[in-house]
Amino acid sequence: MSDAPIITIRNIYKFFGPLKALDNVTLDIRSGEKVVIIGPSGSGKSTLLRSINRLEEIDQGSIVVDGFDLNDRTNDINAIRQELGMVFQSFNLFPHKTVLENLTLAPIKLKKIPKAEAEATAMKLLDRVGIKEKATVYPSRLSGGQQQRVAIARALAMNPKIMLFDEPTSALDPEMIGEVLDVMKSLARDGMTMVVVTHEMGFAREVADRVIFMDAGQIIESGTPEHFFKAPEHDRTKLFLSQIL
Amino acid sequence: MTEDTIRIEVTDGAAIPREKDKGLLSAWRLSFFGALAVIAYLLITRPDPYLRVLKFVPDGILVTFEVTVSAIFFALILGLITGLGRISQNKYVNLVASTYVEVVRGIPLLVQLFYVYYALGRFVNVPHMIAAVTAMSVCYGAYMGEVFRAGIMSISKGQTEAARSLGFNRGQTMFLVILPQAWRTILPPVGNEFIALLKDTSLVSILAVADILRRGREFASESFYYFETYTMIALIYLVITLILSKGVSHMEKRLSHYV
Ligand SMILES: Nc1ncnc2c1ncn2[C@@H]1O[C@H](COP(=O)(O)OP(=O)(O)OP(=O)(O)O)[C@@H](O)[C@H]1O
Ligand SMILES: [Mg+2]
Repeated sequence: MSDAPIITIRNIYKFFGPLKALDNVTLDIRSGEKVVIIGPSGSGKSTLLRSINRLEEIDQGSIVVDGFDLNDRTNDINAIRQELGMVFQSFNLFPHKTVLENLTLAPIKLKKIPKAEAEATAMKLLDRVGIKEKATVYPSRLSGGQQQRVAIARALAMNPKIMLFDEPTSALDPEMIGEVLDVMKSLARDGMTMVVVTHEMGFAREVADRVIFMDAGQIIESGTPEHFFKAPEHDRTKLFLSQIL
Repeated sequence: MTEDTIRIEVTDGAAIPREKDKGLLSAWRLSFFGALAVIAYLLITRPDPYLRVLKFVPDGILVTFEVTVSAIFFALILGLITGLGRISQNKYVNLVASTYVEVVRGIPLLVQLFYVYYALGRFVNVPHMIAAVTAMSVCYGAYMGEVFRAGIMSISKGQTEAARSLGFNRGQTMFLVILPQAWRTILPPVGNEFIALLKDTSLVSILAVADILRRGREFASESFYYFETYTMIALIYLVITLILSKGVSHMEKRLSHYV
């Protein structure tokens, strides 16, 4: 883990009409760091995560990702997004493409990688997430856990520097959560920079370098998992943890 | 139409026989085989004039299909552009596209046909066929725009977000991810529009385009067999649209699920 931040978030605000979804959020994430964001529903976790790759445009403040200021319109957002893999709660695989094509579409079209090479890389990634044998089927044939592992592999196929996860296991049946978390843990061990919104406290405890608790659009408390689960400072954090643990 | 209920409006195609719909399915059979039986009966019992009509109109059938196919082709292109315009975040593009739809839907096709023919005719000498195809394309382009818009909107926002987060730009997202999925929703109503358009081409006979109806009128005015001629013309249209509606229903069934 290096000390230089790869993501710098400074005093950002995001409004949905009158609703303040992000309220003066400031956060630095270092390269290789694993940050887990927790908080009650509607607290702004997804909005924060999605503003990092500009799926949500912030109204105030600045976000710099790997040296690129997201507010600077001369920067190519599509190039910056290639550095940021994103995994969604609802998988969002492309249903009209096979598993393999889901992985190779972006590398072939965006990075102009030759098809054979893109497919070889994709097969390695599928092997890594444990579903190589499903390469030629369509996503609708896969279980939720398998789909989410493909979605992770699809993001990895662009060789991103940072991975963003928005409640990757929340849509899964309980028996499939483990297989997805295992893939994420192995990614963490390999040194990937990860920002993960999750309710999986076991994962947070095991993997996080830092846990961030959000409420009402603000970061209320931030610290190591030990700090969080043994001695949280704020009442709202305590309340939230007492409800979820 | 609210933004969250995805519904593809059916304008004036044909009743598409669907498997669930047993009543319609047998209505289809009854009409189709009934029409064939009536045609056969008329041809056998009164070959003059029925057989003569039948021999007289085939060039017209060809012209009808020519107009239909060319108009649908241009209407699809216009429709795609319009549909994209209607969902564009640029409010001027949006306004232009919406106004086009509004204006075209507010003017009867027959008036549009005359209008294109005589308006264009003031500046250039447009062949009837071109005027007909232009007017029909412009008219159906507006309907197709709605079909494309609904089809695109039927694809979940998550698909766009997944594509954009991989680094695809708007256009790539539309053409690589959204449209390839949307065509399953789009194709059946397009088939339906095709049928509606085919029927509406009967209006072009008024511009002296020699379609089925025009050929029928020519025959009738020479032979004075008005009733017999229009009976035959009606049966021909019926058989054609019934065959096409069956085709659309097959297409719907095949498109309804992913592999
Ligand atoms: N596109 C939107 N339009 C309007 N309001 C929105 C939109 N997206 C989010 N919000 C609102 O902003 C607030 C923060 O939402 P956000 O999705 O970031 O919360 P969250 O912490 O991720 O919640 P959850 O745990 O339910 O996913 C919520 O009140 C939500 O209703
Ligand atoms: Mg959320």
